[in-house]
Amino acid sequence: MIRHSNKRNAVRMSKTVRRISAAAAGLSAVALLAGCAKNAPQDTWQPKGPNAQKIDDLQKPVFAIAGIVGIIVFAAIGYALFKFKDRGQPIPEQTHGKPVLEIGMTILPAVILAGIGIFTFQTIFDLAKTDDTEMVINVTGQQWWWEYDYPVQEQYGITDPIITSGQLVIPSGTKVLLRETSRDVIHSYWIPALNGKRDAVPGRVHTLRLEADEPGIYAGQCTEFCGLSHAVMRMETVALSKDDFAAWVKGQLSLAASPTEGSLAQEGESVFLNQCVRCHQVNGLKKADGSPAIAAPEDNVWSGAAPNLTHLMSRNTFAGASWNLLTKQCRKDVWEASSEEFGKRYLAGVTEECLNQTDLRRWLRNAPAMKPMYADPTKLEETGGKYRGMPNLGLSEDDIDKLVAYLATLK
Amino acid sequence: MAIIERPVPVGVPDIPAPATPTRTFGALRRPVATTGWKSWVFTVDHKKLGIMYGAVAMFFFIVGGIEAVLIRLQLAAPNGKVLSADVYNQMFTMHATTMVFLFVMPMAAAFANYFVPLQIGARDVAFPRINAFGFWTLVGGGIIVNLSWFFGGAADGGWFMYAPNSGPVFSPSNGVDFWALGLQITGIASLTGAVNLIVTVLNMRAPGMSLMKMPVFTWLQLVVQFLLLFAIPVITVALFLLSFQRSFGATFFDVSAGADPLLWQHLFWIFGHPEVYILVLPSFGIISEVLPVFSKKPLFGYPFVVFSGAAIGFVGWGVWAHHMFASGLGPVSVAVFSIATMAIAVPTGVKIVNWTMTIWGGKLNFTAAMHFAIGLVVLFTIGGLSGVTHAVAPSDTQQTDTYYIVAHFHYVLFGGAIFGLFAGFYYWWPKMFGKQLNERLGKANFWLMVIGMNMTFGPMHMIGLQGQPRRMYVWTEARAGEGFFNLAFWNRVASIGSLVLSIGVLLFLINVVKTARSKQVAPLDPWDARTLEWMTTSPPKEHNFDAIPTVHHLDEFFHRKYAQDPVTHEIKQVATAEDIMRDQEANADKHIHMPSPSYWPIILAGGLPVIALGVIYAIPVAIVGAAIVVLAMYGWSLEPSTAPDTDFDPPASGDGTKELAPLG
Amino acid sequence: MFTNGSKYLIGVTGFSAVVLVLYIALVDGAVGGVVALSSIMLAVGLLAGLALFNRDGDVQVGDVAAPANAESVGSSLWPLVSTVGIVAMGIGLITHEIVFLLGLVGLVAGFVEWVIQGWSESASSDRRYNASVRGRLIHPLEFPVLAAVGAAVIVVPFSRIMLAISKTAGAIVFILVGCAVLAGGVVFALRPNLKKTVVIGLCAVGAVGVVAGGIAGASAGKRDQLVEANEEDHFAHKECGEEKSKYFDFNAEAKVSMRSNPTATIEFIGGKLQARELGLNAPRTRITIQKSANISVIFRNKTEGEHRLTLHYGEKEVQEGVVEELHTCTQMIEEGEEQILTFRIDKPSIASEKPYTFSVPGVDDQSIEVFVP
Repeated sequence: MIRHSNKRNAVRMSKTVRRISAAAAGLSAVALLAGCAKNAPQDTWQPKGPNAQKIDDLQKPVFAIAGIVGIIVFAAIGYALFKFKDRGQPIPEQTHGKPVLEIGMTILPAVILAGIGIFTFQTIFDLAKTDDTEMVINVTGQQWWWEYDYPVQEQYGITDPIITSGQLVIPSGTKVLLRETSRDVIHSYWIPALNGKRDAVPGRVHTLRLEADEPGIYAGQCTEFCGLSHAVMRMETVALSKDDFAAWVKGQLSLAASPTEGSLAQEGESVFLNQCVRCHQVNGLKKADGSPAIAAPEDNVWSGAAPNLTHLMSRNTFAGASWNLLTKQCRKDVWEASSEEFGKRYLAGVTEECLNQTDLRRWLRNAPAMKPMYADPTKLEETGGKYRGMPNLGLSEDDIDKLVAYLATLK
Repeated sequence: MAIIERPVPVGVPDIPAPATPTRTFGALRRPVATTGWKSWVFTVDHKKLGIMYGAVAMFFFIVGGIEAVLIRLQLAAPNGKVLSADVYNQMFTMHATTMVFLFVMPMAAAFANYFVPLQIGARDVAFPRINAFGFWTLVGGGIIVNLSWFFGGAADGGWFMYAPNSGPVFSPSNGVDFWALGLQITGIASLTGAVNLIVTVLNMRAPGMSLMKMPVFTWLQLVVQFLLLFAIPVITVALFLLSFQRSFGATFFDVSAGADPLLWQHLFWIFGHPEVYILVLPSFGIISEVLPVFSKKPLFGYPFVVFSGAAIGFVGWGVWAHHMFASGLGPVSVAVFSIATMAIAVPTGVKIVNWTMTIWGGKLNFTAAMHFAIGLVVLFTIGGLSGVTHAVAPSDTQQTDTYYIVAHFHYVLFGGAIFGLFAGFYYWWPKMFGKQLNERLGKANFWLMVIGMNMTFGPMHMIGLQGQPRRMYVWTEARAGEGFFNLAFWNRVASIGSLVLSIGVLLFLINVVKTARSKQVAPLDPWDARTLEWMTTSPPKEHNFDAIPTVHHLDEFFHRKYAQDPVTHEIKQVATAEDIMRDQEANADKHIHMPSPSYWPIILAGGLPVIALGVIYAIPVAIVGAAIVVLAMYGWSLEPSTAPDTDFDPPASGDGTKELAPLG
Repeated sequence: MFTNGSKYLIGVTGFSAVVLVLYIALVDGAVGGVVALSSIMLAVGLLAGLALFNRDGDVQVGDVAAPANAESVGSSLWPLVSTVGIVAMGIGLITHEIVFLLGLVGLVAGFVEWVIQGWSESASSDRRYNASVRGRLIHPLEFPVLAAVGAAVIVVPFSRIMLAISKTAGAIVFILVGCAVLAGGVVFALRPNLKKTVVIGLCAVGAVGVVAGGIAGASAGKRDQLVEANEEDHFAHKECGEEKSKYFDFNAEAKVSMRSNPTATIEFIGGKLQARELGLNAPRTRITIQKSANISVIFRNKTEGEHRLTLHYGEKEVQEGVVEELHTCTQMIEEGEEQILTFRIDKPSIASEKPYTFSVPGVDDQSIEVFVP
């Protein structure tokens, strides 16, 4: 008797399930879309390049299948809860299951998953390819910023290696291969709009494909927990059209020129030589005796590196891409520029009126107060006296004025 | 080891034995208190230990919960100022550590300890003193792990403690030392518990109870114990290497000395993935008891549930690297582990189907326990399906280390493990304490927890997919997107949800207090249950069963109460629980010798934290700790597990043929 | 609860603790005294513990068995063991330290066993019970010690054998011994009723064989390869000079994790040096690597003869006025072989007057420039 009614229920059920699931699918899709943030810079569902697109093409059907399966299960449970509530019906037969149904319900998900598996397989190997690379960039993570250097590649005008940090600049429509490693702990490079993440592991070199369809800025964030300031270790990838990229390369290959005699900036240069050059390199900067000033971060910073500041003002950001060198309005102009306009605006760099003096000064005044760093000189026993991050240099306001003037010349 | 029962042979003539002295060994007389704190501290009774496991786990649940709320308060608004970066990192590390190692695992152990012997019709576990030792070891380990808060800061490397960030250079406070040593100690607890329960289940089942007539909860606990048996050594090795590196200058994970940091990740996740099943299978077991009872139907497809549990136990070992899809393993490994991960979704799906089919066609009674059990099925399904989305390795590279993963595993572990444990509380409370938890409060507790849990973790799906990474002590408006429903909005919702969730848990605690104060005694069989643990008094006597029942069926108790009319096929009650109880009492076993309480387990367990402190601060202290351990081992091995009656002070009266030995 | 004897010994322990504390407080810097006093304290403490455990051997509680009724005790091995120990100690004084130590161990073991057995035999009139008393007291000591001795008897001689014979023979011996153990196990499993004496005899033969082999191995010494490797410090390869030994382990650095992550592959083909960078397919003569990071490259020799790859990366002032050239290199490898070179360069190229280069010693016109930005 019970079995009989079960069968009837099942028939009715399947109709109800279909109706409920269709309604629920529609509703939840609407709810999801309405509930999403607009223009979230790190949205994983808005691919802007072929690699991320590939992932997106794979994940959307999987989400859909998962959603449908979920709705069917919930409808079945909901129906059962409603239907079989104790209303004084007799105690049901003590059956222990139906093996055919069981086996069916084992095979069905296995088949669905096998289907997903085939496409997954293909995508994994597609995304791991390195032999169609058009450009190579070295990416090095350290606490708590990223360094990029460009090996010599004449076809892009890179006749000498380029070194930069914070913002990775790539030509759009070009298959770029990142070679990632780390100088201290494990970090992870992630630009959601362009590709999934890949860990930068010390002692190993991992590759990550990156390609942007259009010029623009794509935001990212270190996603492997890397200690104290993990939350403020960010990065941005800037895609420029091929011509703009060539112009950028040309700019990066130049050396820093000495500021004009007697200017505030020149005084700033000597402050820089006294304080900053211990860790920060500026290519072209000369000591008083005319010899090139070589930074020695390996003696002062545990990771052995500090950002090269030769072209600081071309970068828009500083301190692990977590603070802007541009004022709010200027930044908005760059970020929201159309893809045609973008290159021009970006290459303009940080002009005097756009320089975000507030944050830069705050940083120079006391860096660890802004971004937590391991920079208390009394607590460096474990690292052999070396800092992790920039310490508070105790600069006077006067020195800071001079330094800002000098840094503004590093175009 | 333990003499659980010693029936006197009937009809054997009384031959005078050689003069054998009885009171020979042990300088310290055995503890004899049957009431007061001593009766708890020195007990070897699996039920008392189970309750203590539960109490300690509950304490750590509250600690971990406070940590979680602090995390959510920090993240309620952009650029949170509640916690500093350093404290935040400690907070999320300790939240995970506490919840995994000090709440869910011990709480599952509490249920295992209390109910596995009862469900299989045994009088205690196989090694009662080891059981007590395991409990005190857990307490010691938990104290060591948390002591770090007061000695320069807790561990701050995340519960996964990836090398090289866990090394002395990158985490110079003693937090990681406390963490690593504390977890090695709790590992000992898990390992001894695992051996103990495996032996108990395999050797001490009631007559007639074949493996396939064993209750599902016991079955899944057996699988969990095997997982523990093989997983704990792996993490112990990893932690040992880490301790060695930190305390004695070894270079296992030091990249400059040529180490590969991925070694730690492999070791950790070979443990870490089975650990997920260690956390969730006990709860699966609990609801596999609860759903049939309140549906008045046996579990649908019992063998499938059992074998899919065992299958999870096996396949669970082959999927660890899905935690490392972004680590740079190379495409071949990633592909293999991706497929293996999808494969493990199948036996998990089987369970969902079985639970649904169990309630299908039943006679459902929506008690609080049933609420939680159904809550588990629904929430775990959500967690399982989001799990499938990142079994697909390429999409995992977008999702891993974002809040999407946080959402996923909280649906699996909160919605799965913790809801199951709560179902267990409501279901077994009358058995453990003889009083029923208030059902109305229980349902309010359930709804607050469900709403709070979905408010907290539901939005995290969106936050994560829209690119907010985990483990960040601040998030900023700049990356939160635009519109009303931006990430800031959802972060706020999640934070409010965590408060709702806390109120839900608080309601449970209020319920516990209220029930403890109430004088209303629970009926003998309040739920019309199906398994052996209900075939005795509530709470059970010291020796569990007056007569060890002989088992003929799966769900033996139900079959003793009900029978099918051969003509009408109707199922009718033929006996009440009271009838069965009376029958048992009438046929009670004589001369039940129970294991005696002992000082040694707690002394031995007490030596371990001393060693840990010594390793961190001063080696001589560790030597003292080791001396305590060695002496306690010696004392332990000299002491028979069951005391002769005369070894009590004062000696027990009578001629030694009392019905029950005096118990502590 | 405390017996008289343990009270006395606890008192002595406490007294020696006080003396120790006073000694440390009043006499500074005398390590010997501290060690002696703490040893005394520990020893007395241990005795106190033992006395406490066995209640001064007060086993007679409730037992009134008269000595006359007691069964006569069985034979004892321990006087013999103790005597042998004393004799061995004497011999050891003349011949070798190790014999003395073994004798001492024998003496102590024999003595402890003797004491425990003597005590247990007076426990009651029931011999079986007495045996169980002895067992419970001494087994927790005996079993671990015997197990350790047993493991040592296998491990030490076997390791001596393996270190003495050549690599190939080692593999063969290992397989043979493994098979023998397996075969033995199968026999025992199939014939569970095998006579105990046969089993013991087989085990004894095996043990004697292993020990004899071990003695032979130890007297033969380690194989030349290991001795030379140790002398020439092959384990921490620091030299880029001529290799003296033909036994160098050429595969030591070719680990899987390293092989999967090289920045570049440098090939020496037909007398020409060329590099292939990861991601850049055309052969190059200039590669760029990251500063201050551990970088690995693979070196493949595809030219006749033995060659190695050397990296020169600037100079460093090691002392005031003493400048040392920085370089590192792979092993000399035959044609067709490969090696991994891992290095870390801390200074950018602009810090050095000479460019950083990979080169093959003895080949002058071939080099690959390494640029460090």
